[in-house]
Amino acid sequence: MSALLQGLQFHPGKTIIHRLDPRVKLVISILLLATTLMYLEVTVITLVIVVEALIAYAARVVGRWARTVYGAAPLIALVFLMNYTANVFMMGEAFSVEGLYRAFAAAYRLVALLAAFSIFFLTTTPEELGMALTKLKVPYIYTFAFISAIRFAPVLAQELQSILDAQRSRGLELDKGGPLTRARRYIPVLVPLLVSVLRRSYELAEAMEVKCFGAKKERTYLKTLRLGRRDYAALSLAIPLFTLAAYIRVMVPIELP
Amino acid sequence: MEHVYPNGVKALDGVSLRIGEGEVVAVMGENGAGKTTLLKHLNGLLKPTRGRVIVDGKDTREATVAELSRKVGIVFQNAEDMFFSGSVWEETEFALRNFGFSEDVISKRVEWALRFMELWDYRSKSPFMLSGGEKKRLALAVILAWSPEIIVLDEPTIGQDQLQKEKMIEVIRLLNTQGKTVILSSHDIEFVAELRPRIILMSGGRIVGDGRAEDILTNMSLLESCRLIPPQIVQLTSRLGFMGIRAKLASPEDVAKEIAERIRV
Amino acid sequence: MALIEVKGLSFRYAGSEEYAVRDVDIEVERGEFIVLAGRSGCGKSTLLRCMNGLIPHFYEGDMEGRVVVDGMDTRETPPHMISQVAGMVFQNPENQLFALNVEADIAFPLENLAFPREEIRERVEWALRVMGIEDLRDRSPAELSGGQKQKVAVASVLAMRPKALLLDEPTSSLDPLSAKQLIETIAELNRRHGITIIIAEHRLDLLLPHASRLIVMERGRVAVDEEPRKALTRDIIPYGVAVPKVARVAQLITKMGVGCFRRLPLTVEEFVEEVRGDGR
Repeated sequence: MSALLQGLQFHPGKTIIHRLDPRVKLVISILLLATTLMYLEVTVITLVIVVEALIAYAARVVGRWARTVYGAAPLIALVFLMNYTANVFMMGEAFSVEGLYRAFAAAYRLVALLAAFSIFFLTTTPEELGMALTKLKVPYIYTFAFISAIRFAPVLAQELQSILDAQRSRGLELDKGGPLTRARRYIPVLVPLLVSVLRRSYELAEAMEVKCFGAKKERTYLKTLRLGRRDYAALSLAIPLFTLAAYIRVMVPIELP
Repeated sequence: MEHVYPNGVKALDGVSLRIGEGEVVAVMGENGAGKTTLLKHLNGLLKPTRGRVIVDGKDTREATVAELSRKVGIVFQNAEDMFFSGSVWEETEFALRNFGFSEDVISKRVEWALRFMELWDYRSKSPFMLSGGEKKRLALAVILAWSPEIIVLDEPTIGQDQLQKEKMIEVIRLLNTQGKTVILSSHDIEFVAELRPRIILMSGGRIVGDGRAEDILTNMSLLESCRLIPPQIVQLTSRLGFMGIRAKLASPEDVAKEIAERIRV
Repeated sequence: MALIEVKGLSFRYAGSEEYAVRDVDIEVERGEFIVLAGRSGCGKSTLLRCMNGLIPHFYEGDMEGRVVVDGMDTRETPPHMISQVAGMVFQNPENQLFALNVEADIAFPLENLAFPREEIRERVEWALRVMGIEDLRDRSPAELSGGQKQKVAVASVLAMRPKALLLDEPTSSLDPLSAKQLIETIAELNRRHGITIIIAEHRLDLLLPHASRLIVMERGRVAVDEEPRKALTRDIIPYGVAVPKVARVAQLITKMGVGCFRRLPLTVEEFVEEVRGDGR
């Protein structure tokens, strides 16, 4: 699971993929996703994954990208199994090549989907995401909440660690006893955590006040996103390719093997 | 010993030390020097990546944190943020229950600890209603209640005013006369100068100095290499060579006397 | 007219019986460097919060008397107007940084105030330069040391170009060298840029050499309000204030009747100068 989360965390770089506008990257990810949704053919999905691999290579994140997919293996296996059992029940037959193929394709599609979004998150900073939200006319308060969540998640994790350390040093053993006593054992951890979160949010609110948060209805931004030549180039490559894929799907019937 | 965090940061590197019974030891160094990491090894919260930590004959890798904590009581820097009980009494009782003491031992020990830290009158008050200084005292009482032989204080003076610091020195000395071993981490050099413990100086995860306060705190170049500022008395006496006064750790009274004598002559 | 005028100020937090600040009268002139000392809980923080309008706007309670900041009565002025004149820096740097990199953090208040982009850019550059943290501009707060975080927090307040900085124990979690550096940078702001400083702190040995005035508070009242050297001649130890060791030694020598000090030394250098001067 942690490998999966790691694959969704920004990895700094200066490649062309990193420098693309996050909105463009989002559009391309969605197009790739749409392509895999249109087709349930292993060949096409493979093609999508190859394209993704090339993008990951250009962004120099192949290792992390592959690890994300690897980290998602249990999830992928689960999708395969569920699809397969569903097939068995619906078709009423215990074993069929077609059922196996369908289940495999569904799981394989998930790989392509995860891979697309992994690249997006690996190459997009949370700030860029925030800026993208602003550009998409999301009210600032939501962007601020999003940025704060990312800003303070590690701080809270650290806080939790120090509470655990302190209470364990007072003899607290969280993994001892039955489920009920165990739940009760969490009180010495949860109460201080709650108190600390409350106090922190109070202090944050105070600092926000001092930093004139909400002073003006329309705030300005030091940095905003602007589509550049490279962004238009990327779009003008991606959109025709997708249109072609869609055209083939609608116009050309493909037989299942 | 050595400690490497999961993210690959080597926080302790080739650390070897021995602390005897009844010592008062201050681990000094700037933030990030490895002080807290070292302290967390003393009750097994962290285990060495390489090497061994032995507490009272026991390898910390072979004991639980709870077992070790009965011998080693750690008061963390922000221990006053760890309260959760309805009353000062219950807060103090918590650890004793975890350690499985009997009821009458619990009530005796809690009473002793609260009286020792001058909190007896607050016993039924909520810990959250105490003042900053009282909370600090409760954090200490909570640990003293089970009478660990080794008491560890992580940055005990952060955010404390002068009177609270003086009180802290008194408590440390008192505990020491009762035979307790006291180990603390601090970058508050004036506080340590007043306490005069054995000092272990750390920098970048290594021990770079170990000795009496009188020797370590007068070693200006060593302190500077650890990004610490010598006590003002040492800075002052180190500049009085022209009067025949050597750099030393002494009380303002003694230094004043010495200077006055030279001026009179 | 004084930059900050506190007149007959008393304040009691909602739900509290005792006044945190009582009958305080202080006038702060432009360019002063005031150190606010006293025991924990003596009212230093409350007083600072009164001086920039957090009280009574953010904290509820009973306020008597008045505080006027650069001609604005804090009761009648929204806090964001006062913040631009008297900026506030808090104790914990972690809870003052909101953005994911240093530059964005410094820009934050200016963005909130809807400054035009070019001006934000200019002011951010200025604040980075003045605080000496240009090399940190792209760092995320998680990568900064405590001292660096606090410098960023000061820079972001500074970007509003306030006339005064109010600092509430800004070095309490820093190690000695970081604390010294921060205090020296703040002293620079006062000397070079004429910014008025009011700082609540325990570390008098680092601060007094820069200060024009020492205010010691006790139970919400002002106990001492004088030029530092004069203030130190009074018995301020019972107020929980750590008298710098050099000053203490000099006072003891004077008490012994060996009068060699024309003025009370606040630094080691001053002490050595005085003693050498006498020897010659």
